[in-house]
Amino acid sequence: MALTREDVRGIADYARIALTEEELDEMTTYMNEAVEMLQPIREYDLEGVEPTFHPIGDLSNVMAGDTPNAHGRSLDIDVALSNAGASQGRTFRVPSILGDEGGDR
Amino acid sequence: MANFDTLSAAAIAAGVKAGDFSATEVARAALDAIEARDGEVQAFLQTSAELALEAAAATDAARAAGEELGPLAGVPMAYKDNMHLVGTRTTCASKMLYNYESTFTATCVQRTLDAGATPVGKANMDEFAFGSSTESSAFHPTCNPWDTTRVPGGSSGGSAAAVASGEVPLSLGSDTGGSIRQPASFCGVVGMKPTYGAVSRYGVVAFGSSLDQVGPFGRSVTDVALAMNALVAGGRDHLDSTSQEVPANFLDGLEDSVEGMRVGIISALMEHEAVTDEVRKGLEAARAALEAQGVEVVEVELPNMTSAIAAYYVIGPSEAFSNLARFDGVRFGYQEPNCTTLAEQTALSRAHGFGAEAKRRQMLGAYLLAAGVYDKYYYPAQQVRTLITDDYRRAFECCDAILLPTSPTSAFHFGEISDPTQMYASDLFTISNNIAGNGGVSVPVGLGSTSGMPIAAQLQGPAFKDHTLLRMARALERSIEEAGLAKPGTVAPAFAGKGGEL
Repeated sequence: MALTREDVRGIADYARIALTEEELDEMTTYMNEAVEMLQPIREYDLEGVEPTFHPIGDLSNVMAGDTPNAHGRSLDIDVALSNAGASQGRTFRVPSILGDEGGDR
Repeated sequence: MANFDTLSAAAIAAGVKAGDFSATEVARAALDAIEARDGEVQAFLQTSAELALEAAAATDAARAAGEELGPLAGVPMAYKDNMHLVGTRTTCASKMLYNYESTFTATCVQRTLDAGATPVGKANMDEFAFGSSTESSAFHPTCNPWDTTRVPGGSSGGSAAAVASGEVPLSLGSDTGGSIRQPASFCGVVGMKPTYGAVSRYGVVAFGSSLDQVGPFGRSVTDVALAMNALVAGGRDHLDSTSQEVPANFLDGLEDSVEGMRVGIISALMEHEAVTDEVRKGLEAARAALEAQGVEVVEVELPNMTSAIAAYYVIGPSEAFSNLARFDGVRFGYQEPNCTTLAEQTALSRAHGFGAEAKRRQMLGAYLLAAGVYDKYYYPAQQVRTLITDDYRRAFECCDAILLPTSPTSAFHFGEISDPTQMYASDLFTISNNIAGNGGVSVPVGLGSTSGMPIAAQLQGPAFKDHTLLRMARALERSIEEAGLAKPGTVAPAFAGKGGEL
């Protein structure tokens, strides 16, 4: 079933990309073409086929001790803040997370 | 002396070591060549003259002090602009990161610097590496040095064009679905996607984390092997969990005979409607060239390869959506002013920071990962990935490498492919490699009889057999040269000798 403009509006909201009304039209066309291109995936009989999520099978998470800068790769605070659009003291500055309507999504 | 664009990376490093010229003289020649050529090519988003001259001076000082110089001593290099290098911006060719200053240096970049390379700048690309033509760069297009009305390919188009136009002998790119090999093909240079895990991605802005791999561009297989050695010489990088130990022996036995080795071909693929006649002829020449070196040609099958594009456009956008969620306008990246809530700031920063294709890929990924949709596409795509990987395993039981086109066509004109899904289809022959994770290399095999543009053959090898793959690539290159079809080491004719006297 084709994705409607309202479906695409919902996806954009979830993806947190504020699309204009014009962009929504183009995106709806694109999404339906792209999903159509993926159909070969649905035509397989994949009963009993294990998925491969990663080319290197036996990877595990890298763990580190709960100590500051355990790997010597932490950025100094002034460096970490240097690319931020807004900062205050030692922190990133953001607008209200609650807003007028009383809650972030 | 000569123009620096006539020298290979290996010759530059040897000349600097021997004292024939200094690293500083080479750096000045490279900056001069960029000055003279980049107005037309536009391969660079930023040049780093100060860093280049500092690094070159350090190389010269090390030589004066009697220290042993690295394998890339004095070799000017360009880096795709998704690689962090302190002292440069890392923009990913996106408005999102237009003023982002690198806060650390990527391992791949650092290793070339440790080997003595001179960093001359950051190369243009498709925005966040989403594309096959470099047309989606938010800043400017890059022109193909062989015909400036055509695209250089992508997404690492700037890295390929900088090497092809003689601005640098070596560059680095990244390849998620063909983004090193396809621009190498379009620009008539050698480009390698090593096996997934061979090169650290630490400090390279992530696109598809199970697919991305960093690799070099050069004007010859030998230079690419030289760069590969530098990239893996530091051993496993503990800052990238996918990094694997790979011996730095890519130059060893590179010139050895390949007689008796086997290359697989897939006849059915050559009949694909997207393949142009001139590409078909180029591949026939490549096959003959390998046979002339004593390689046995065998027929193999990759039956699930035709589904690779579908699998890729499930996996790639899903991973991209996840990775690009970090661009929320708070810690870095474009921040929309005057927003009253964080949610509004996030949605508008992303809407105005990302270009059209970056939005498309993330929207597709967001949809594919949604509850109820995931089971229909994402999970089956990972099962198809198993089938594609098994296809390769079976094929490599009877051959050492597979020969196929890099791209179904030679370089196209700007604006020629405007439909996004049509652009995706151009990755037909490169994408399955990223899905399975094994290595691939694109080697020029001459000029197309119709377009007059470079045509390339692609060799794909088994995982972690990149050494053998390069040896086969070198045999192909040597044989193509002997047949008079292409001359390794040469620069696109319109740019040869323009600035850069050494």
